[in-house]
Amino acid sequence: MVFPSLEFAIFFPLVLAISWALMPRQRLWKPFVLAASYLFYGAANPRFCVLLALVTLANQVGALAVHRTPDERRRRLVTGVTVAVNLAVLAVFKYYGFFTEDFDRLLDSIGLGLPLPLLTIALPIGLSFYIFQAISYVVDVKRGLLEPAPTLDLAIYLSFFPHVVAGPIVRAREFLPQLTSPRDPRDVAVGAGVVLIALGLVKKVAIADYLARTVVDPVFGVPEAYAAPDVALASYAYAAQIYCDFSGYTDIAIGVALLMGFVFPQNFRAPYRATSFREFWRRWHITLSRYLRDLLYIPLGGSRGGRLATARNLMITMTLGGLWHGAAWGFVLWGALHGAGLVLERGLRGRFDAPAWLRWAVVFHLVCLGWILFRSRDLDLAGSFLSRLVEPGPATLWSVPAVAAVVTVIGLQLLPERPLERLRERVAELSPLALGPGLAGVIAVVGATVPSQAVPPFIYFQF
Amino acid sequence: MASTEQTIPQAPRGPRLRARDALVVVGLAVLLLVLFEGESIRDAGEEMQPGVGRDVVLAVGKPAGWVGDLLPFDEAADGVLGWLSPDDDLAGTGFEEPGATTREGAVPAVTPDSFDPQELGAKPNPPRALDTVLVTGDSLSQPLDVELARELAADAGDDVRTRREPHIGTGVSKSGFVDWGKLSSQQVKELSPEATVVFIGANEGFPMPGGGGEVECCGPEWAAEYAARVRRMMSTYRQGGEGRVYWLTLPLPRDRERQEIARAVNAAIEVAAVPYRSQVRVLDMTEVFTPDGRYRDTMAVDGKERIVREPDGIHLNSEGAGLAAEIVRAALRRDFGR
Repeated sequence: MVFPSLEFAIFFPLVLAISWALMPRQRLWKPFVLAASYLFYGAANPRFCVLLALVTLANQVGALAVHRTPDERRRRLVTGVTVAVNLAVLAVFKYYGFFTEDFDRLLDSIGLGLPLPLLTIALPIGLSFYIFQAISYVVDVKRGLLEPAPTLDLAIYLSFFPHVVAGPIVRAREFLPQLTSPRDPRDVAVGAGVVLIALGLVKKVAIADYLARTVVDPVFGVPEAYAAPDVALASYAYAAQIYCDFSGYTDIAIGVALLMGFVFPQNFRAPYRATSFREFWRRWHITLSRYLRDLLYIPLGGSRGGRLATARNLMITMTLGGLWHGAAWGFVLWGALHGAGLVLERGLRGRFDAPAWLRWAVVFHLVCLGWILFRSRDLDLAGSFLSRLVEPGPATLWSVPAVAAVVTVIGLQLLPERPLERLRERVAELSPLALGPGLAGVIAVVGATVPSQAVPPFIYFQF
Repeated sequence: MASTEQTIPQAPRGPRLRARDALVVVGLAVLLLVLFEGESIRDAGEEMQPGVGRDVVLAVGKPAGWVGDLLPFDEAADGVLGWLSPDDDLAGTGFEEPGATTREGAVPAVTPDSFDPQELGAKPNPPRALDTVLVTGDSLSQPLDVELARELAADAGDDVRTRREPHIGTGVSKSGFVDWGKLSSQQVKELSPEATVVFIGANEGFPMPGGGGEVECCGPEWAAEYAARVRRMMSTYRQGGEGRVYWLTLPLPRDRERQEIARAVNAAIEVAAVPYRSQVRVLDMTEVFTPDGRYRDTMAVDGKERIVREPDGIHLNSEGAGLAAEIVRAALRRDFGR
């Protein structure tokens, strides 16, 4: 089930009403929310629920074993085994095809081949997200930051419908404490939730899908058919599209959770205003970058081992971060590009002081270059795309709405943040009698922009 | 539990209301949407694939549509918001207009268009020079459209324009949102393509009007009605003999129920093309991807075993679409010499 769908429009009001009705009776509320979340998750393919349940149980067994083991070496071993089980699930469902086909192709080119059987394995939606959350649970228990939760709580944490499909990646210690007592029905951020839902719908349906349809998909589909002006527009348009698509999903997820009484961490903060890669990763997919920092970069040694070791750790972290997005060389190169940017930045720190506008321009365009690798997936297509950037020719896709959408999405992020925040807060302060019609109006307007082909899935669903 | 409360993220700034207010906001929004968009909710439900999701949406959509029918708000909303729609109105009854379906009684005339000149060893009528190729259909036409467009761009450069028009979730047997009878006419009017490549059939099996009632899938009556619709589209795309049409049959899907629909669709495509063999090429994907009627995920491509289907067991992946594009490309070369 996806947020901008009729099924969700029927599902959510019912679940919201029953959830608040049952909230004081946690013995009823918890099974209800778990059932609703599995219904939401299983709507696409009920078989995926089995995997989600198995991952939940495996991690609970692991967490309990870690908690009950006094010996530190054994705790580390059990944690390692549990994390390995999680990664094995990810490897089978997400990367098996990559290794058997792409890797085999690579080896084949040098006369070697992998005699592995070819299987088409369906990637369960949201697998990368809930596997990462499951790992965070076991690691937090191992680090003593969290005691093992009741199995029902863990099951709700991993399957909670606002975040199960595409995040944000909520850490166990951020979410599980919210399940220890009923949410306060007199303390609900209704206005903020509604504003986020409306904003997310506009970003996803009215902007991201429009840019995809009119500019990005045609050019990235067949770059050979377009010249430099269209290809340049498509690269900026994709930067705007992926931001609106993913942050739009996150906004809706956070808004829906707020109406249910739960708080998720912020995931985006005007990423295209960053003047360094470091800053970019503090503004883009914040929950993933802090996850990678805490559970990969720092355990690898972080910046504690000198310049070379730091560079190595950054490259490993970012390249694996790229691979997390999917089994394709484009993602790996995208991660490596960001890793190289971070390493270079550290190397130049204090030696080279460029004005802020120049740093912004360099970082923004390198980020856009990364998006070309990210969107192209295969290197042939990326190569064709980049080669067309210097091909003179007409601008066939430049239209006022498309250019205006790109300029607005990127330009708004360059404006001072506080006034925009204040504007959002002012809207959130409206009374429920104004917020209801406002939300209906946004849904109707956004719905009118949906083409006959219906709303395409969110980009991050595939991760 | 160690250090819990401080780890809970901060809620966004703003007033805190009661849970009851959240229900009021959502309830009001739902009520207004039912009043203003009731008919659309019902129509959308009727277009969905059979299943629990469709039943649930229709359980709400039918009463909402009934309310919408009684009130003038739906039309008012359409009037105010219609300009925002990226499509022309493609819903309708194009297939139900006169001439759309077969009529019993008369013996249909056999014309020279029924024969592929190449099969008779005759010299085919030269088509117009290839300038525009339209690749259209439902989700099946992706990524075939991209693969074909890239091949054509590599071979013919800027001389041949490939127009990709996938209409995801649509079907020939359902016309609530997109009526392919209407859409095909519009496409031809807008583009006049010399070659039209059609790959459609992932969302079929819907009951169609026919024989004074509704014809259910997948018997001869349903296939006849489907063939009549396809024939009408073929007739439109061939533009009185000026255009060439490349219609791909369906590789059998993994699911047995869907296989039954695919077989009926494929039989209908073959029958539909009969009067237009001179201009319509039916490209057999069934035999290429699912020989002997058996589903398979992998097949040998250039001597190596490759995955050619998506995990959903319906669509072709890039590898499979590339193979299909080569078959289309060869057929284009035969007809247009390029």
